[in-house]
Amino acid sequence: MLVVVVGLGGRGMVAEFFDGSAVQFWSTVLVSIVIQALPFLVLGVLISGAIAALVPPGWLARALPRQDALAVPAAGLAGAALPGCECASVPIAARLRANGVSPAAAFAFMLAAPAINPVVLVSTAVAFPGRPEMVLARFLASLLTSITVGLIWSRVGREAWMTRARSRVVEGDSRWAAFTETARQDFLQAGGWLVVGAMAAATLQVAVPRSVVQQLAGHQLLSALCLGLLAVVLAICSEADAFVAASLRQFSLSARLVFLVVGPAVDIKLVAMQTGVFGRRFAARFAPLTFAVAVICALLVGRWLL
Amino acid sequence: MVLLVGAVALWLGLSQAALAYVRPGLRPLLAASGLVLLLLGLVAVLWRPAGATHGHAHGEQGFRSAWLLMLPVLVLLLVTPPALGSYAASRQPPGTNNGSTGEFPPLPEPVDGAVPLLVSEFVARAQEDQKRSLAGQRVRLVGFVIPAQGGGRDYQLARFVLACCAADAEAYTVQIRGDATPRQADQWLLVEGRWLPQPVPKQPGSFTKPPVLLTDAVTTISPPANRYENTVFPY
Repeated sequence: MLVVVVGLGGRGMVAEFFDGSAVQFWSTVLVSIVIQALPFLVLGVLISGAIAALVPPGWLARALPRQDALAVPAAGLAGAALPGCECASVPIAARLRANGVSPAAAFAFMLAAPAINPVVLVSTAVAFPGRPEMVLARFLASLLTSITVGLIWSRVGREAWMTRARSRVVEGDSRWAAFTETARQDFLQAGGWLVVGAMAAATLQVAVPRSVVQQLAGHQLLSALCLGLLAVVLAICSEADAFVAASLRQFSLSARLVFLVVGPAVDIKLVAMQTGVFGRRFAARFAPLTFAVAVICALLVGRWLL
Repeated sequence: MVLLVGAVALWLGLSQAALAYVRPGLRPLLAASGLVLLLLGLVAVLWRPAGATHGHAHGEQGFRSAWLLMLPVLVLLLVTPPALGSYAASRQPPGTNNGSTGEFPPLPEPVDGAVPLLVSEFVARAQEDQKRSLAGQRVRLVGFVIPAQGGGRDYQLARFVLACCAADAEAYTVQIRGDATPRQADQWLLVEGRWLPQPVPKQPGSFTKPPVLLTDAVTTISPPANRYENTVFPY
């Protein structure tokens, strides 16, 4: 409260500092990303809270097949049922882990949910009128990415990398208390890191003008990598990225598919949130793995379908 | 903290202020999430047993990072960053038609001697309409000014198209010719005139220059409530 009062007094001074066009652009992008992500983050922590309050520990793990080879695809497909974007799925995946679901399956869910749910597929269809194969290709490539990353993780992933995930048990005397307390704490944790991600994305948008990217449109493989990196940098909500992809018309459909598959799986804001929720050592390994798998899956599916 | 973020989200959801940052359809969701956060914050304040420490089960890290949520709140309340304008637009390549099939419905009827069009629609028709529906038509556009780089009299009229939030906004620009008055950057204008026809290239999206409008009437206006044009969103 005090901060706000003092701040209002110094408003003139602060506004002067922010008058530069670049700083203004930076702050508009920062505020926009946070505002846009907020409803979906709230949805995510409510679901997380509901799992903590209503689902007995270990129940979800028993509901899924015992072996990762089956549980991972099942969890990936289950992602289709969550009508949100990527900000919702990080706290939910952490809660699934805390409930006893194997990490590989939880991560497959986390990667698949923001990419293959009906809302995202419908926006893709709207953004690419007359090209239903784009919707199908996006669905298949994203599902394939999530399953592949999940299976690789079940082979090589280490529990020790997730330095933060183990302390996530919230005790409550009643279900209602467990629900509200879990949702509130998850919101504070993921929300703070969402701001870190939004700051990084805003900084990159200021530093790298979008026109730079267009120069690389000609080269097949290079342009695919380039759009993959653009997806990481822009940190666009998965429900809106199809519209941006549709307008990148100098690029081949395959390259634009890479943009659509990488974006919901790994972008700068997601890496920040995963660092905060799972730990730095986890994010440092998970993000490059996901990026590589997403690019390869998108190129393979693109070659086949587009 | 949760209460503060919730209150700001609720206020944004109910006011016009959110339109500078996100698409209009997100406002009810924002208001709803603001209410949820207010409830969560109130429950925590009212029902927390006395002496219970904050987040003992959670580790300190989670709560230290939570203070970062103050940053966007403070920026929003103290600076109130404006909707994207000419600076952001000049950093983008000129917007090209968003995934059209090259088929356009007939132009709407003129109102007061000109067809009102969105900037993005004008650009799309100018670049890709095989039937050339714009040819000879007097149109009316609303947008903001991007001054010429060299300081000449001609300027571009631009409007951002927003899919979800300002991070994905794309600028659509039209080159304006025939306005003798010098214009300031980010000045909002209502421009009437006729399209200067140009050939439709075979390769879609291969434009490097915006289409040209020869204007015969320019009016300065105050900015519209929603400074962006919006893509059709499924919900």
